[in-house]
Amino acid sequence: MDENVAEYIRRTVLKIPRDEIKMMLQKWGFLSEAQLQTLNFYQIKDNISQEVVHLCEENSADIKQAAVLDIIYNHIYQDKRIWSVYQMKKSGEELEYFDITDFKKKFKRRIRSALKNVTITFKEYKDNAIWIRVAWGTPQKKPNQYKPTYVVYHSQTPYVFISASVLKSNMPLLCQALIVASNYHDIREMELRSHSLNSLKDIVFKRYSQNFQTYTTKPLQGGNVEPENADIRIVQENRSEKERIYRVNQEVFGSGPQPKLEFAQYRLETMFKSDPKMDVLDKKEPFRCLVKFSSPHLLESLKSLAPAGMADAPLSPLLTCIPHKARNYFKIREKKGLFPESFVSP
Amino acid sequence: LFPPPGQESVDPQKTAFLLRKAWTLYSVTPLYRFRRARLRDYARLLSAFIAAEKQKGLAVEVGVELDIKVALSSLAELRGSELDQAALLVQLSSRSRASSRNSEDKLVWSGWFCSVFGDDLSENLPEDFTSLPLFLSHGAESYTALVGSWFQKTFDCCFRRLAISPQNLSWMVAMWAGCKLDRAASAVELVFSVPRLAQPLDISYAIHPEDAKALWDTVQKTPGEITQEEVDVFMDCLYAHFHRHFKIHLSAAKLVKVSTAVASAHCDGIVKILHSQYLPGVLMLLTELAISQIQ
Repeated sequence: MDENVAEYIRRTVLKIPRDEIKMMLQKWGFLSEAQLQTLNFYQIKDNISQEVVHLCEENSADIKQAAVLDIIYNHIYQDKRIWSVYQMKKSGEELEYFDITDFKKKFKRRIRSALKNVTITFKEYKDNAIWIRVAWGTPQKKPNQYKPTYVVYHSQTPYVFISASVLKSNMPLLCQALIVASNYHDIREMELRSHSLNSLKDIVFKRYSQNFQTYTTKPLQGGNVEPENADIRIVQENRSEKERIYRVNQEVFGSGPQPKLEFAQYRLETMFKSDPKMDVLDKKEPFRCLVKFSSPHLLESLKSLAPAGMADAPLSPLLTCIPHKARNYFKIREKKGLFPESFVSP
Repeated sequence: LFPPPGQESVDPQKTAFLLRKAWTLYSVTPLYRFRRARLRDYARLLSAFIAAEKQKGLAVEVGVELDIKVALSSLAELRGSELDQAALLVQLSSRSRASSRNSEDKLVWSGWFCSVFGDDLSENLPEDFTSLPLFLSHGAESYTALVGSWFQKTFDCCFRRLAISPQNLSWMVAMWAGCKLDRAASAVELVFSVPRLAQPLDISYAIHPEDAKALWDTVQKTPGEITQEEVDVFMDCLYAHFHRHFKIHLSAAKLVKVSTAVASAHCDGIVKILHSQYLPGVLMLLTELAISQIQ
């Protein structure tokens, strides 16, 4: 077995938490059940990985099999990576029959026609997700297995999720190969990035509970905002305001769980407007700002601001539009004309 | 105000070591019976103290055999006026025992005491007391603890971490945003935190330096002087602009860090000075904060 492959397998196994190694090796299926029985999973990981490498040697593993193990690891730990979303465009409306074999063939052919030194690996999952792993080399160097790009493509949709390696120069070639293989004619990067691949899917596939623009005057059922107060002498101030905030929040954010995003970024190029009494800046040029919001769960965090008294309800549409506009990077300019208070986001 | 009279420019070479490092701030009460002439003695004593503490098992780096060399020096340039004491620099260097042939000392920790226009404290001091209220350290916390405890024992003084309140951070960002700089400047950034939510939120609000300065210039009425009211107006403008877009009351969030091309400061009492031109001004402000904490 090639020593680079051996080292790659060793390092991949080392990444796996000890109590998950057996499960992942079983999913991999490259080592037989009998071989797995011989492994002692109660020793230090260094030793476990060495033993795995020995067994792989017995089976003459090559880089193709090692790459599959890597996909399995990254599929389970997908949230460790940052994912960008790309949308493909078709020229016609025809829904073509998707042939996975044809897709793989065309994809590999397009990449290999430009670059010989690549390792391309596919794995299909039950939810129609096709995972593609590409390790990139150069005309002179063999592929760098430690910095691959991962692509997740749901064949019934025009969306591709890409976790790029740092070698960004290969993106154009990758994009080309994707549209050629899937019979689309164009691809563009959306302004949407997150660690949570599932949340990105929720957003573009519209799988989250969306807000309804109905304004009801009665509170939603089961909407008891405050915790039970044993002492009836304690009265909530502003009860009606609190209820209004809760209601408006539900309308604007929807009542279901929010997709999980970690950040949103706004490049503001709007005018600075102030109270004329304050006698401050009155420039004719934009007041340039860059605003970044970050949180372990941004949308839930934003949803909790108004109830916490930190924000007005409803919250600004610049924030609440994130899921249905499917973007978390924005450039905001002033809208000219009738409504100077509103913004346009190109 | 800046640069202070009689000190048109501090020799940039001597102060280069201050720039672009994150310094942790402390306030220090006056030192009792500190003698400038005895710096060499003090260095020896501190060195022996550190070695003894390491023997006792309070080792700083486990498994790494290091001899720590101590150097104390005075920096006459680092002060506001003649009324201030000259700054005192403490440097800890290491020479690995293993490579005594290539004996090149590596600086592992530095700390310095200073007073820039600290007259409020030094004026009414009895004799025998030396006022150097501001202490800045850079390097492992364990070394800071060792040096701090030696100074506390030897000069009967008291070190306290200097936290920077949101109000003081606002003052700093307003002041520094208004500074005129020759080169292209980095953004004026304010970082807010909303920790008490179920999912904590951090907000970074970065303004183009030209636009921030333009705003400050219209707010500041008297050049060379800054009032609390002007700082409040500046901040209110920034909050209002933010609210217009996002409907969020930034004023209710906690301002934890401010960053400009001149300097950056964090509420935990960590400061980075980026531009030598405004060094005296920054140090003067920090000296003032240290003195408030002591009094």
